[in-house]
Amino acid sequence: MKAVRIIALREDRKRILEHLQNSSLIEIKHNEVPESGFSRVDTSSQIQKFDRNDQLMTQALKILDKVSPEKKSLLSSFRGKREVEPEDIGSIASDSPKVIGICNKICDLEKQKADYSAERIRIKTMCAQLEPWAGLDIPMNTSDTSSTAVLIGTFPRMLDDVSLSETLAQEEDLVFEYEIIFSGSNLTCAVIYVPKAQKEKAENVLRTIGFTRPLNPTSRTPSEKIKRLRKKDGELEEKISKANESINGYVKYRSMIADTKDYYNIRSDKYKVISELDQSGHTFILYGYVPECDCEKLQQLCERAATCVVEFSEAGDDAPVKLKNNKFAEPAESIVTMYSPPSKEDVDPTPILAFFFYFFFGMMFSDAGYGLVMLIATTAAIKIFKPDKPMRSTLKLFQYCGVATVFWGLVFGSIFGDAPVVYYNLFTGSNLTMADILPWPILDTQKDALTIMILSIGLGLIHILVGMGCKFYVCLKNKRYEEAFFDTGFWMLMLIGFAVLAAGMVTSPVLITVGAAIAIACAVGLILTQGRDKKGIFGKLLGGVGSLYDITSYISDLLSYSRLLALGLTTGVMAQVFNMLSTLMGTNVFGIIFMIVIFIAGHLITIGLNALGSYVHTMRLQYVEMFSKFYDGGGRKFEPFAVNCKNFKIKNSEDM
Amino acid sequence: MEGIVFAILAASIATVLSGIGSAKGVGGAAQTAMGVLSEDSSMFGKMLVLTLLPGTQGLYGFIVGFLIMINCGVLGGEIPTLMQGLAYVAASLAIGFGGMISGFAQGKASVAGISMCAKDEGNFSKAMVSITLVEIYALLAFIVSLLMVISIPGIKM
Repeated sequence: MKAVRIIALREDRKRILEHLQNSSLIEIKHNEVPESGFSRVDTSSQIQKFDRNDQLMTQALKILDKVSPEKKSLLSSFRGKREVEPEDIGSIASDSPKVIGICNKICDLEKQKADYSAERIRIKTMCAQLEPWAGLDIPMNTSDTSSTAVLIGTFPRMLDDVSLSETLAQEEDLVFEYEIIFSGSNLTCAVIYVPKAQKEKAENVLRTIGFTRPLNPTSRTPSEKIKRLRKKDGELEEKISKANESINGYVKYRSMIADTKDYYNIRSDKYKVISELDQSGHTFILYGYVPECDCEKLQQLCERAATCVVEFSEAGDDAPVKLKNNKFAEPAESIVTMYSPPSKEDVDPTPILAFFFYFFFGMMFSDAGYGLVMLIATTAAIKIFKPDKPMRSTLKLFQYCGVATVFWGLVFGSIFGDAPVVYYNLFTGSNLTMADILPWPILDTQKDALTIMILSIGLGLIHILVGMGCKFYVCLKNKRYEEAFFDTGFWMLMLIGFAVLAAGMVTSPVLITVGAAIAIACAVGLILTQGRDKKGIFGKLLGGVGSLYDITSYISDLLSYSRLLALGLTTGVMAQVFNMLSTLMGTNVFGIIFMIVIFIAGHLITIGLNALGSYVHTMRLQYVEMFSKFYDGGGRKFEPFAVNCKNFKIKNSEDM
Repeated sequence: MEGIVFAILAASIATVLSGIGSAKGVGGAAQTAMGVLSEDSSMFGKMLVLTLLPGTQGLYGFIVGFLIMINCGVLGGEIPTLMQGLAYVAASLAIGFGGMISGFAQGKASVAGISMCAKDEGNFSKAMVSITLVEIYALLAFIVSLLMVISIPGIKM
């Protein structure tokens, strides 16, 4: 990684930035304060404008999705983004006012729809309030005649003829006539007629039992009013569906809106960079980081675009990290980045990690049939969908894992479990095993479990030793010799000593002596050196003896590799179980249909569960067992100033 | 002949106890995951992985149970003697209890991992690795049970 400084004329600012953005070669460095003599330009108002447009389009797209959901196939997520020529950006830009207009219309229509819906709800409540009055055949606001007062209103309780007349009769010499329109458990609607002279008297009595007049009486009879409201409701419904239709008419602009949204995002990113540039009257300075291999390309690009000076210098400690690996290791970069990108002091662990990742994944998934399925599926997905970089790396990762899985499947003699022999035996009645039909000696996960366990731990030892070897190398490189030889070297030798000792137990007693000698020598070495930072002879000795306790952590690390056996066995046995289930119905027609269904469903379940398990546990072995030996991470990923679009990517002649 | 009763008991112990562990673990994790998904359904893939992690214990128990059935005459093999039957029961206890209790513990770790991942998707791999730390104890129990079960038919008791 190199630090870079580009100095150019202010008038070329836009052109240079556009080129840089399209080529995504450089990461812009953000300095807190400008150099003396330079100043910053405030672009926040433009950025705000772009962000507002972005929000408008997001909203419009959401509305379109609600009205007519986009049909997406399950596999479309693999598909790469549409490629556009750099010149096409211009046409997107010139269309943008039109697109903004469309988006505004869509949003307006949506707002109208919301208003109509609110109106409909209001009508619904009004209808519900009028419903009890439906039997009333005079308008709700009927006022008094020349001699008679008309009191229309409700009581908040159930009243029948008897209770109402009894209440009214309490008032002496009140002459009244009444009509109960509706009577429910806590609502009674009634009309009461009294002589005009007694109106006040009657009102007083009625008030004592909670009589209230309707809130907004109409000049029509209730049933007529309800009919009118219903009609209005119908009209509103029609208006809403019409609005939906007009929104539907805009669906064809969906991809155009999405493109324009991306265009505004690109511009917003660019203006964010402009606000960070140090600018003087006629020039500007841009600071950034660029990967070493791209330096020349960057220089050519800038010089071709405009008159400018490009200077490279050594990058400081806060420089970002871009991993660079060969084709074999590259897919595993995402696994390293997920943990943490390497810091300046670390070595790039990707190549080692890649090898062991594929290898251990294969050993845990360990079925030639499943490996082949994985290999074919990933290869087909890469060929057919031409996915973009992150997705392509993931698919590549599983492609390599698939190869390893086939290898281990053949070693363990497992092809869709024991499917070949199960079906052969079923139809011929013979009694073969996988070991009989495969021409090479196989390791049976069930019968040779102990052998495989020893093999797993042996591979684990190699894995850990490689990790410690990296630590050794890093320490040597940074001239920390004590750490290299005393802290790492002794332990490595000691582990090798134990391995020799263990091998000696089954082969020859000579190896036992050799192994024990190495281990004891290393233990003495550790006791003498590990307390070197402590004060006093006792402190040093105690520190040294105490450090031997670390052996427990190495043992637990090694035992952890027994999961290689456990997961391999899980895959094999699950496959075997489904093979057995599939043969249960015999060899008649139904039996064969049943067999095919169970075979496909069962093996899909096995693949899903065990691929997940293998992935997770391989990752754990890398992160916890190996990385803890040498890798710190803590670096920052290289994030270039680039065109970040959801919908399209700009075609690049020299594309990766 | 009496041995087969105990062998079947052993298969049940291995499958059921570890199954309880996984069921409780996955159940709790799934509840939390659904809470997260109700806010942001795009995290389904990640949530699925974190939810399934405590599910392996049940699988290990099932495999031990299946191997017992293959060895003891239910699905093949010879009928065990009484002592062999009891030995199967003893062997199945390891994965039974190891699987059950590690299932509970892993379920709790999973719930915490899901909440962590919901706050910041970048924490996904850390959550995943931390949750698998619990798994090793189920694995050890499984391997112990497994090595015992496959060697019992060869031991004359």
